[in-house]
Amino acid sequence: MSEKRQQSEDKLLEKVTTTEYKYGFTTNIESDTIPKGLSEDVVRIISAKKNEPEWMLEYRLKAYRAWLEMEEPNWANINYTKPNYQEIIYYSAPKQKPVLDSLDDLDPEMKAMFDKLGISIGEQNKLANVAVDIVMDSVSVATSFKEKLGDLGIIFCPISDAIQDHPELVQKYLGSIVPARDNFFSALNAAVFSDGSFCYIPKGVKCPMELSTYFRINEAGTGQFERTLLIADEGSQVSYLEGCTAPMRDENQLHAAVVELIAMDDANIKYSTVQNWYPGNAEGVGGVFNFVTKRGICYKNAKISWTQVETGSAITWKYPSCILKGDNSIGEFFSVAVTNNMQQNDTGTKMIHLGKNTKSTIIAKGISAGKSEGNYRGLVRISKGATNSRNFSQCDSLLMGDKCGAHTFPYIEVKNNSSKVEHEATTSKIGEDQIFYCNQRGIGTEAAIALIVNGYCKDVLNQLPMEFAVEAQKLLEISLEGSVG
Amino acid sequence: MGLINNIKSYSETLNLSAEKKGLFNSFLQNGFPTIKDEDWKYTSLKKIIAEDFSIEKTGNDIDTSAISKHSLSFKNQLIFVDGKLISSPQIKGVTISAYADFESRNNDAIMNLNASLCNNGFNISVAKNTVVEQVIEILFFTTTENNFSQYRNQIIVGENSEIKFVEKIQNLNNSTAFVNYFTQINCDKNTNVEFNKIQNNTSNSILIDNVDIYQKDNSTCDVNTLIFGGNFTRNNLNFEQNGNNCESNMNGVSVLDDNQFADNHTFVDHKSAHCRSNEMYKGVYLGKSKGVFNGKIMVRPDAQKIDAFQSNNNLLLSEDSTIDSKPQLEIYADDVKCSHGCTIGQLDEDALFYMRSRGIGVEEAKAVLTYAFASEAIDNISVSEVRLVAQKLLADKLNVDLDFSL
Repeated sequence: MSEKRQQSEDKLLEKVTTTEYKYGFTTNIESDTIPKGLSEDVVRIISAKKNEPEWMLEYRLKAYRAWLEMEEPNWANINYTKPNYQEIIYYSAPKQKPVLDSLDDLDPEMKAMFDKLGISIGEQNKLANVAVDIVMDSVSVATSFKEKLGDLGIIFCPISDAIQDHPELVQKYLGSIVPARDNFFSALNAAVFSDGSFCYIPKGVKCPMELSTYFRINEAGTGQFERTLLIADEGSQVSYLEGCTAPMRDENQLHAAVVELIAMDDANIKYSTVQNWYPGNAEGVGGVFNFVTKRGICYKNAKISWTQVETGSAITWKYPSCILKGDNSIGEFFSVAVTNNMQQNDTGTKMIHLGKNTKSTIIAKGISAGKSEGNYRGLVRISKGATNSRNFSQCDSLLMGDKCGAHTFPYIEVKNNSSKVEHEATTSKIGEDQIFYCNQRGIGTEAAIALIVNGYCKDVLNQLPMEFAVEAQKLLEISLEGSVG
Repeated sequence: MGLINNIKSYSETLNLSAEKKGLFNSFLQNGFPTIKDEDWKYTSLKKIIAEDFSIEKTGNDIDTSAISKHSLSFKNQLIFVDGKLISSPQIKGVTISAYADFESRNNDAIMNLNASLCNNGFNISVAKNTVVEQVIEILFFTTTENNFSQYRNQIIVGENSEIKFVEKIQNLNNSTAFVNYFTQINCDKNTNVEFNKIQNNTSNSILIDNVDIYQKDNSTCDVNTLIFGGNFTRNNLNFEQNGNNCESNMNGVSVLDDNQFADNHTFVDHKSAHCRSNEMYKGVYLGKSKGVFNGKIMVRPDAQKIDAFQSNNNLLLSEDSTIDSKPQLEIYADDVKCSHGCTIGQLDEDALFYMRSRGIGVEEAKAVLTYAFASEAIDNISVSEVRLVAQKLLADKLNVDLDFSL
């Protein structure tokens, strides 16, 4: 009996480790590409190509000069060959930049690609009530529902448009949460970012639909440096979805994004990510390096909630954080991080409690399979003035196979004696008794594992908006095919 | 950099062997760790190493009243003054001798310094099949003033043997004393070792205490650390399990006030299968005290069937007290059960109210609850005398006149 189970487990693991990336295809669209390499000139070219105002160029140059003096961080528990920053193409835009009135005008080839991804815009427009701002190789090519949102005063556009149309907002908030000097990758991003999304929700407005962006790295050898700036003014409410899938490539691609969220008094931001960049093949060749800085600030009574499902990328280095500055503000972090084959993952969150009565919740679930390594690294800091603050953290790791690793590195710093902090972490594999229990009741081993993994991730998946929950389930299936039904 | 210079000129007066010179140079290369070192992130030595300590000065004689004052009155007493053995018990199967050099695999900067400069300490070796029923009390007195000293001890426990220790490092005058203390314990197969450390030194003493434990098959080793005194305490406790079915247990209680600082660093390296580790550290912080906890559990590849538990609970009882905690798991094997938990909070208001409404004073009520909090770890200590001392020191520290043993 146990031998049989062993066999079927082996079979499952084999299946898991041999599943190939399903989104690996490239679209042949002519691109407007500048030569590879990074220099002050490249920064100037990018800025000029985007027809940016002087202050923006200054901002980029300052960031570039700061970057030159910085060293690439190596404290994370990951191993990789550091990218050669002179071998990267820093700007690439589809040459035929379409100005679209409707989706019918979209390049048929591009449309086919979106269909392959299963994010058919037409369908989503009609059925899901989702406004999608598609970023393909850094430049937005389709924006929908812009008018409808415009009626409410909501600005949702590519950040390059925002620099032209709303310079006062961009200048005020860009880099206010993640300064260019914050870290090596944020400096790089500030210097060369080519596009991204900008969103502003005016006072008291509740955004009637989920805002959504899909990112895709397409041109070979291009780095994707997108920049997202989301401002929720007093009393407003917004839910923002971000999803990524990248086609198969042999060389490593760099993705260094920066996301800044600003939640003014009483505002509420929900930011959900499904990340499925190309993870490399079973030998660990290729795959995306995902080095992302995400941070949000909460003013009085505001709330920021990060939800992420991380299944892709060869290397992930990502810590969505909340600065709880205002009294009674709330920060949340829900994460499922799956690693398979040779993937490596160092992810977690930072909760910085500054205001009184601030609350934060961290639920991080890691699943490691194949020869992969999953790390949780998080910080909870209660500063002296954060009286009556509360934090609860839970990090669980699930190991599938004896070649993978799961690690937890929480940092807890408390300087206030009226605050309560709890942290717990567990690491284990799926219990034989759990599978036996299911088998006994007529549930096959494969279905049983699916059931257990689904249950294990439920706390996080439940946080996702409906539109994403389905896709996240699908991604989990693909990433751990064979073990998730 | 006062201390480094003093160390350098002291080393020049010594005739160091080539090997020790190598160790010393590798210390000099890195110098004392700074807060940029991940392991010293929350623990700054900056102030300490700026002091002008003398190095390895010889101390004064002590009078016997000091011994009885600080002793727990065990029959078997092993007494040192400034690292020199002055009295040792006769126990069948146990050989006790003064300092003899030994090699260690631990090569962090401070350990290299210890290895290269040290010439004081003890060696205890327990023969095979020896069960020592009586607890051995190690009293380590320092008398030198304003001195930085290195001590290096080794305990070798032979197969099938059992032994228990209580250790106390005590500064006998009121000057600042900086001690770099290293103990290596080798536990052979089927051994059972318990090591209790009572750290209740004078309020200006500085201690870096390293304990490295190497365990073989079926051995059990318990280390209990009670921190009440001292100005600056850093404990590095490392377990390495090199055999199947080992068990490592750690209990720690820190009760700090004023400007005290205590840092407990533990590391359990599970290298073999079917092993266990249990770790429970409790911290109570008063005044402007600062606590640090860093516990790491490592499970190596193929070390299957490991059960590892770690918990770190902290009470912040004053406005200016702080705690930094960093529990870590690094797991490379899949068939394991590992967990850690960490809490930071206060005494339960409802419980306090309940007791006060029944006529118990606020200080006493707090003390009872604090004791209840710490007792989980204290109760795991098998030597009753140590438990009593812990209870008494806790009551002293909380300024109440209560006998918790009732």
